[in-house]
Amino acid sequence: MARKVGICAVAQTNWERDRWQDRFQGMALEVVESLQAQTGLTFTRHEPGEGIDMSVSVSDDVFDARTISDNAMTDVLGAHFGCEEKVAQEGIQAIYYGLAAIASGHHDIVLVLGHCKESQGKSRNMVTHLAFDPFYTRPVGMDFCAAAGLQAMAYGEKSNLTDEHLARIVVRARENAAKNPHTSGLETVTEKQVLESKMLADPIRELHAYPVSDGAVGMILAAEDIAKKITDKPVWIKGVGNCMDSFFLGDRDLTANVALRKAAERAYGRAGINNPAKELDLFEVSDQYAYQLPMWMEGLGLFDESRGAAWLDEGGPEKMNVNPSGGMLAGNALLLGGLVRAAEATLQLKGEAGDRQAGHPKTALAHGVMGPAGQFHSVVILEQG
Amino acid sequence: MSKSSEDCHVVEGKLALPYQYFAGRTGSRFLISLRDEKKIMGIRCETCDTVFVPPRQTCERCFSDISDNWVALGNKGTVTGYTIIRYEEPHQPVKPPYILAQIKLDGADTPITHIIKGMPLSKIKTGARVKAIFAKKPTSSIRDIEYFRPSDDRPAFELGYTYDELEVGMSASFTKTISESDVYLFAGISGDFNPMHLNEEFAKLTPFGTRIAHGALPQSLIAPVLGMKLPGLGTVIPEITVRFRKPTYFGDTITATGEIIEMIEKRRWVRMELRWTNQKEELVAEGSCLAIPPMPMGK
Repeated sequence: MARKVGICAVAQTNWERDRWQDRFQGMALEVVESLQAQTGLTFTRHEPGEGIDMSVSVSDDVFDARTISDNAMTDVLGAHFGCEEKVAQEGIQAIYYGLAAIASGHHDIVLVLGHCKESQGKSRNMVTHLAFDPFYTRPVGMDFCAAAGLQAMAYGEKSNLTDEHLARIVVRARENAAKNPHTSGLETVTEKQVLESKMLADPIRELHAYPVSDGAVGMILAAEDIAKKITDKPVWIKGVGNCMDSFFLGDRDLTANVALRKAAERAYGRAGINNPAKELDLFEVSDQYAYQLPMWMEGLGLFDESRGAAWLDEGGPEKMNVNPSGGMLAGNALLLGGLVRAAEATLQLKGEAGDRQAGHPKTALAHGVMGPAGQFHSVVILEQG
Repeated sequence: MSKSSEDCHVVEGKLALPYQYFAGRTGSRFLISLRDEKKIMGIRCETCDTVFVPPRQTCERCFSDISDNWVALGNKGTVTGYTIIRYEEPHQPVKPPYILAQIKLDGADTPITHIIKGMPLSKIKTGARVKAIFAKKPTSSIRDIEYFRPSDDRPAFELGYTYDELEVGMSASFTKTISESDVYLFAGISGDFNPMHLNEEFAKLTPFGTRIAHGALPQSLIAPVLGMKLPGLGTVIPEITVRFRKPTYFGDTITATGEIIEMIEKRRWVRMELRWTNQKEELVAEGSCLAIPPMPMGK
């Protein structure tokens, strides 16, 4: 019988546009020290359950401009002579690693830590350009923003999304971001400002895109019995699911959310959720671009296909408690969006989300996405302990 | 630790590594036929009934080996999705703004992503037809198709209405002012040098008191109506009858009108009522005709 796994503590730095004077190790250390302070854990590995016995970092070689990017992190992670792993996928996958390691009985306490300084590269688009193959898609200039433009146009047409709908999503995200001490550096904007911001890839405007972000995020996962000792408010991981869509955009239906639907189905099945709209109290989804907020919520099965505009008009984001943190539009680095979503959902379930606390949720969903136009999705279902 | 940015040093760097990517055997064949034969090839999965492009050795859906199932695709395709790239990056193929589109080549089931040039940005829409323009210098990549441009798939001639498109009550007309030179040219064309059309002094002695146009001259104005408007290009007129009501004087403006009055189902012909009027709305001539509407040509 697999062991139950709990999130015992979460921490994140402030998310800023350019933390040029911070090493990424420094940002990460800030998170590790906060997690240690919250849990009292050290890195002793002599006795099971005594300290952190596995460290999983999340980073990207190209964003860090060095191969084996975790090599620069082992001291911060306390990983010398320990069990060390790296996730170069969406950061929320590190929770999956930790869950597997603990549920299987291989480890008891896992540190998960993601970091990224998007500001260091000349252009985030140049980084994501490298995610494409060199024969068919790089030569026509593909990057994640271009892929998102193709998807946003198709999904917007199918779901009747207007420029005003997208603007209101950004206004709300920034209002929520202002209540979040980690993202409060981001200015609020008016609908008019969004509507007048310059077009990047029609219909995506500059303000529809998540801002370039530097920061770090982490959490402590532990087996049930240990988690209960570490904290009186553990948050249980009830189910995780992911799914990888085809690589070529042409092999996919860009508006159908095929991978997200499968990822959600797997997570719901493992968490025993039959009616997600009724059974989940709060959602943190990775909206890298404004159109993705309704699109991902649709893919999570929370309203009928093509009803994106209607769902927004009905106040869906507020009614369903979607992204009280501000979401990814409030500014998290590309590969950490999902991990921050899980950290934010955890804070909400613990009732420790401060000014952005959205009622008293008992269950929450955290979502991460990676790859062009939502190629890969991860869904994590969390429950208050 | 100090939060001051004093004594903070940044080292400029660059990731740059000359590199050779092997395209794989399947990819190589695709790229070589694109480069050497300007032929775009797809690969068909029989099990999934899908023609993939770019090609691949194994179907990702059913895991069948499909590496031998090459099919030649058309150079034209249909836009299934698009965006307009307006931000600028060094890796882009052309200077923004440009159209980036999903293009389903004729014969393929999966669209490829490529750029479209030669089309105003505001005119791009799903369903647009485009054709591949091949690069003059090989790139050994998908840019051997340098770009796509709008493809005019309209036939060289647009035929008129077929029998099935016609209905009673449809009408069309053509208007022209009859000048002295028209009459003189018509005299030359027909050989009818009758002085009532050409000699004012003689014409003064006729009941009309001045020169008039040949009757067949205004009558001929129905030809552009029948042959080019209704039914239009491709029409054959096996019978036409005319009764002249009033003369046409030099300078008169004649309107010839045809209206469909009967559908002759048995022969798939139509009967049309014809009328010629002048600028005073006087009836100059009237009649009728049979028209054989255009049939699909070239087959």
